[in-house]
Amino acid sequence: MRREAKRHAALAGADEVSKSGVAGALCHRSPKSRSVLARERAQIARALLADCRLCAHDCGVNRLAGETGLCHAGAEARFFCAQTEVSDELELIPTFAVALCGCDMRCDFCITGATSWNARTGDLVVAALRRQKGGGDALVAPRGDGAASTLLRRGVATTLQPQRLSGLEQLAQQAEQALANGARTIMVLGGEPTIHLPTVLELVSQLPDTAKLIWKTNAHGSAQARELLDGLFDVWLADFKFGNDACAQRLAKTPDYLRVIEENLRWADAHSELIVRHLLMPGHVDCCWRPVAEWLAANLPGVKVNLRSGFWPAWRAARHIELRGTVSTPENERAVALAREFGLNLIP
Amino acid sequence: MKKRPAKAGCQSSGQDQVSELLIMPDGQILVHNLTPAFARLLHELNPTAEQISSRVTRHSSPSHELPN
Repeated sequence: MRREAKRHAALAGADEVSKSGVAGALCHRSPKSRSVLARERAQIARALLADCRLCAHDCGVNRLAGETGLCHAGAEARFFCAQTEVSDELELIPTFAVALCGCDMRCDFCITGATSWNARTGDLVVAALRRQKGGGDALVAPRGDGAASTLLRRGVATTLQPQRLSGLEQLAQQAEQALANGARTIMVLGGEPTIHLPTVLELVSQLPDTAKLIWKTNAHGSAQARELLDGLFDVWLADFKFGNDACAQRLAKTPDYLRVIEENLRWADAHSELIVRHLLMPGHVDCCWRPVAEWLAANLPGVKVNLRSGFWPAWRAARHIELRGTVSTPENERAVALAREFGLNLIP
Repeated sequence: MKKRPAKAGCQSSGQDQVSELLIMPDGQILVHNLTPAFARLLHELNPTAEQISSRVTRHSSPSHELPN
């Protein structure tokens, strides 16, 4: 099914989804615009923070009350970068990319490292309405960042520095301006945006329904998160980082990796356009790229695959001896040869 | 090898543009978060680099971007 058809089916056919759990709450009787649907789901997503299971770690903490799980994210999202970029897939660029702070994975080679790991840095993204009300049940600002840190509750005046409180509406306006200036898409990424689903949905509700939206994800979200996202993003740009659970555990402290990622990729392919990314890592052609390529060929034949060869030893990569350099030319050539051997649909 | 990538510009609130570079001993340049302005600059430095030329766009430049 083509992208638009898949998205339309998801928007119009929510009555068909399961009546249990989140899906039941998502049911509606008539097709709704993306912005309306996103606004409704944002409220559901925010309530779900009281028992957060947005990612596959399934922590179950109450983020609305200030508890934090493995991602250390509070109830509010922050962003560390919002700009037009041209370094992504050619068919998506220029893209206005909004990068949210915090991640549920702990990849030692993360190219944005501390900036994207730390959910308590960057600028707050809060919708004007909730800003005026002082939050819904509780609006918890991340702790530990000096004068800008505070705890906001109903009726309590904000002590956040005004210049650090970036409105959601401002971000949406920047995105619209970027589209007017020639950007083709709007991309939401991290860190990992899944852990900030309430804010992401609020942002989507502010964007034009015609904008092409890209969900850049580590594909480690939960089924609950998928249901909240269904039909809202035109393209899922999903990482498939590791070809086995041992590498995922050793390099990213992420257990049960393959099961979660493969389930999410299958779902994404069935519900939207999917582009799978694999960052080629030095010394991991046989243990990671080969099984990833083999799985994609067998399970998602024809899916667009972007094999990224520009690994650099960022963040804590030096903890792992094989990750202290870049990918060699012979390794890169072998990886491309494997892709051809498996008949993958490589895109630039 | 240079351990910390050089940052062009600073970030936050979308008011500034940021790209990160890693320059390898063999002259290879790796770029992260390539902005249209920086792509144009790199393209001017090496017009024959196909990987960059394919990313040079006509996206109009806000005034705070690097000048051509």
